[in-house]
Amino acid sequence: MNKKRVKPPALPHSLLLRFLRDELAEEVEGDLEEKFYNELKHASAFKAKLNYWYQVIHYLRPFAIRKNKFTAIYYDMYQNYFRVSWRGLLRQKMYSAIKIGGLAIGVAACFLISLYVKDEMSYDKNFVRGNGPYRLVVQAQIDENKTERTVDFPAPAAAALRADFPEVEKAGRYLSSPLFGAHENEIRRSDRNENQHEGGFVYFDQELLELLEVPVIAGNLKYALTDPNSIVITRRKAEKYFPGEDPVGKTFVINSDEKKLFKIGAVIENFPANSHLQFDFLMTLTGVEFWPGEQSWWMASNYQIYVTFKPGTDINKAAENIKRGFIEKYYKPALVASGAVGFEKILNSATFELQPMDKVYLDASVYDGLPHGDVRFIWLFGAIAGFIVVIACINFINLSTARSANRAREVGLRKAIGSFRSNLIKQFLTESFLFSLLAIVSGIMLAWLLLPYFNMLASKSLTFPWTAWWLVPVLLGAALLIGLLAGLYPAFYLSSFNPVSVLKGNLSRGSKSSGTRSALVVFQFTTSIVLIISTVVIYRQMSYILNKKLGFDKEHVLLLQGANTLGDNIKSFKSELLKLSGIESVSVSDYLPVRGSKRDGNTFYNEGMEKVERGVFTQKWLVDPDYIKTLGMKIVQGRDFNPDMISDSTSIIINQTMAKQLNLSDPVGKVIQNWRKYTIIGVVEDFHFESMKENIGSVCFVAGISPSVILVKAKGGNIPESVEAVSAVWTKFSPNQAIRFNFLDDRYASTYADVERTGSIFTTFAVLAIIVACLGLFALSAFMVEQRAREISIRMVLGAPVNTVFRLLTQNFVLLVLISFVVAAPVAWMLMNKWLQDFVYKTDLSWDIFLLSGACALIIAFVTVSYQAIRAAMANPVTNLRSE
Amino acid sequence: MIETRLGEFEEVILLLTGILGEEAYSFKIAEEFETQTKRSVSIGAVHSTLNRLEEKGFLTSKVGNATAERGGRRKRIYTITAYGRRALESARDLRMSLYNQFPAFAGKMDFGFSV
Repeated sequence: MNKKRVKPPALPHSLLLRFLRDELAEEVEGDLEEKFYNELKHASAFKAKLNYWYQVIHYLRPFAIRKNKFTAIYYDMYQNYFRVSWRGLLRQKMYSAIKIGGLAIGVAACFLISLYVKDEMSYDKNFVRGNGPYRLVVQAQIDENKTERTVDFPAPAAAALRADFPEVEKAGRYLSSPLFGAHENEIRRSDRNENQHEGGFVYFDQELLELLEVPVIAGNLKYALTDPNSIVITRRKAEKYFPGEDPVGKTFVINSDEKKLFKIGAVIENFPANSHLQFDFLMTLTGVEFWPGEQSWWMASNYQIYVTFKPGTDINKAAENIKRGFIEKYYKPALVASGAVGFEKILNSATFELQPMDKVYLDASVYDGLPHGDVRFIWLFGAIAGFIVVIACINFINLSTARSANRAREVGLRKAIGSFRSNLIKQFLTESFLFSLLAIVSGIMLAWLLLPYFNMLASKSLTFPWTAWWLVPVLLGAALLIGLLAGLYPAFYLSSFNPVSVLKGNLSRGSKSSGTRSALVVFQFTTSIVLIISTVVIYRQMSYILNKKLGFDKEHVLLLQGANTLGDNIKSFKSELLKLSGIESVSVSDYLPVRGSKRDGNTFYNEGMEKVERGVFTQKWLVDPDYIKTLGMKIVQGRDFNPDMISDSTSIIINQTMAKQLNLSDPVGKVIQNWRKYTIIGVVEDFHFESMKENIGSVCFVAGISPSVILVKAKGGNIPESVEAVSAVWTKFSPNQAIRFNFLDDRYASTYADVERTGSIFTTFAVLAIIVACLGLFALSAFMVEQRAREISIRMVLGAPVNTVFRLLTQNFVLLVLISFVVAAPVAWMLMNKWLQDFVYKTDLSWDIFLLSGACALIIAFVTVSYQAIRAAMANPVTNLRSE
Repeated sequence: MIETRLGEFEEVILLLTGILGEEAYSFKIAEEFETQTKRSVSIGAVHSTLNRLEEKGFLTSKVGNATAERGGRRKRIYTITAYGRRALESARDLRMSLYNQFPAFAGKMDFGFSV
């Protein structure tokens, strides 16, 4: 009875009436209502209503839909517009190809860059949940004018987080410093003999594994790292070492240390490529202590910490709490106990941050040694992509308006037989949509073809998102947007012609908007020249870095890796190498003067001053006595290590910066100390060992053994032969481990791969921009020649020489490029000045860079225009004049 | 030119129109279709087919009377034309001739059709 009062839903009913043909309305309404009440007899009201919707939607059929008189006309007119556009496109093949090709290049570039930007923005998103994880970051003022944000914390910090702060849910640490045996190691299954070199080693907390919620392939995540000497490996390593077996419970030998077997606790999924965590071998921190008391020692910071919080925690407040708690309860007492002085200022300036995991990658200002993206470059590349599309759109606009004479009569005729201006605007917009659609389709194809090269260029592994839901809507949206951007001005311009004057033939052929056109050409070339100048500057800086005098000789130095497995044989190995004729000298040390190798930060004081002065934070490198000789460094004061002097075990060599920071004007013979005392025996000239973006830091050498890397300085001449000889000796000493080596200069260059990458990306896009701009210029010049063909012929008949004609046709374009250069130079100067500010050691922005780039652009533009001009100047005037 | 052969769906709809006689309008035909074939169909689909069959000349239609359950609206009643009958007959003949040529069925099956 209640059901009786239910009525068919109103919304679909009114929808039905809206589209249904009037003459069908009565019977269809009747049928559907009958159906509705029929449904109600055996189904719920909801189901009946749903069915009503279903029926209404199924009436969306051609026979039932209202035939609007206007719709029909519009449909026919659009058909006509398309046909006319298509014919025009086919008739003017060159111009169409340039319009579409230019846009396609722009679209392809834009699409690839969008993929790149999207990938850069996607880092670590899949780890993020409501309550974290957060990375603990501390910012402190370490100098008068320098604050530093770091992520290194003492070993007991994670446990303290759990114990002291109730809002903390989980806290875990990892340790990735090569100083403690993480990073790179030699590894083998305990039932095999052959060592393999692997990277991606890290010490990991069980709790960190849990709070990251890494997906497990085999084993139980709960107990994966709970046992001492347990290890977790990723899927790809499990597949490499245990193909077809269950790795859980199997054991590894690391660095040939057979007394300490690592037992696999679990296999986890590979870390995603878009994560800042890139590890393959996760060794447990359970039961690990790197020196006695290390795990409760607050004065050495080596661990990175990640935290999750209980729901509803105020993150800013939590960071503030943690800071206060840590400083009062742990840092201050530890500092006081060690007798340090001058720390109050640092502690007071310190702030703690909880950095959301997905913000880590793009925040390059944190000193964490991880690869980072650069937000500025993301924006810059995005802007460049946009500019290339705009340049291509300008081609479209220029060619459309320039060729307006060809359309003028059509416009006049259409207007004369009753077309409104709005119809014409629609027509021209339809045309530009057609072009932009074709351009998008070919652009996407192009992007797909170029993706592998782009991946190489940007060192990414992007895939083409064929199956992404957003692809089609975004492309259609882009087609509309580009169609509008490129078509709007020509549509208004072309539709504005007065039919009477056009049909009388009064319109001068396409010259009216030449001012606008020139401005647009200037814009195109300004953009291109800015890109060219930027490219040149980046390459200059790169070659400056590569050729700068570094303070050591990086040529012909072979780095033998993984030599720690030689054990006690390393001395005889070294002397064996020295017997080879092609070898100049050999040194053993893991500490290399290139970024990313082993480092050991220490604080040194002048003797007895540890309670008085702040101390100098410095690198302490363990080297053998041949180090300075092998690397060709220069001793400016004092002497090198002497292998025969036993007292040299307490000797130290410092660099000039360190001498300055220690306020020692005559350092040789002075005693300095960290936790033990050293006598300075020499001062080495400053050499670059970190990035060119920073000032040279202080560093000191202590004699000792750090046996992973052997530096072999070969004599110039036959390097391959020397390498072969070294290999032979290696195989004799270490038959179970393949030789692995690289060259110091390559290592050095690779630390600037990001600069080089930026350079090649810039080159690519600069080339693309100039190609697109030149396409437009080429078409414009072709058009100008076409337009002035008769004028030129008459001039030639009257005796004008070829070079006058040539000048006539080219001088305008050359002038435009010159204007562009004047606009571009200051813009580029500002941009590149800003970029170079990243570097402490940098090349000059000298005038020849600008001259070179300007000349380059001018020559390219000139050659482009010349082709048409020469053709016109060489043509036989009779052909053009005959028909009149 | 209008296609004059019958599709399977068209054939069934045409037959149902004949079966229902005076009650042959879109909703009833759709209902009957669902009960006889156990396949679901929308009224729109049936209506569209009826419309097409009328254009081909197999059906004629006239406006019928109204009933209360359809809100006092009139319905459109469809009737088979002579041309429609012929189309059905030739469709059946073709079908029968094919069945008779198929050895597995020939002579064994009697569909009760009087030829």
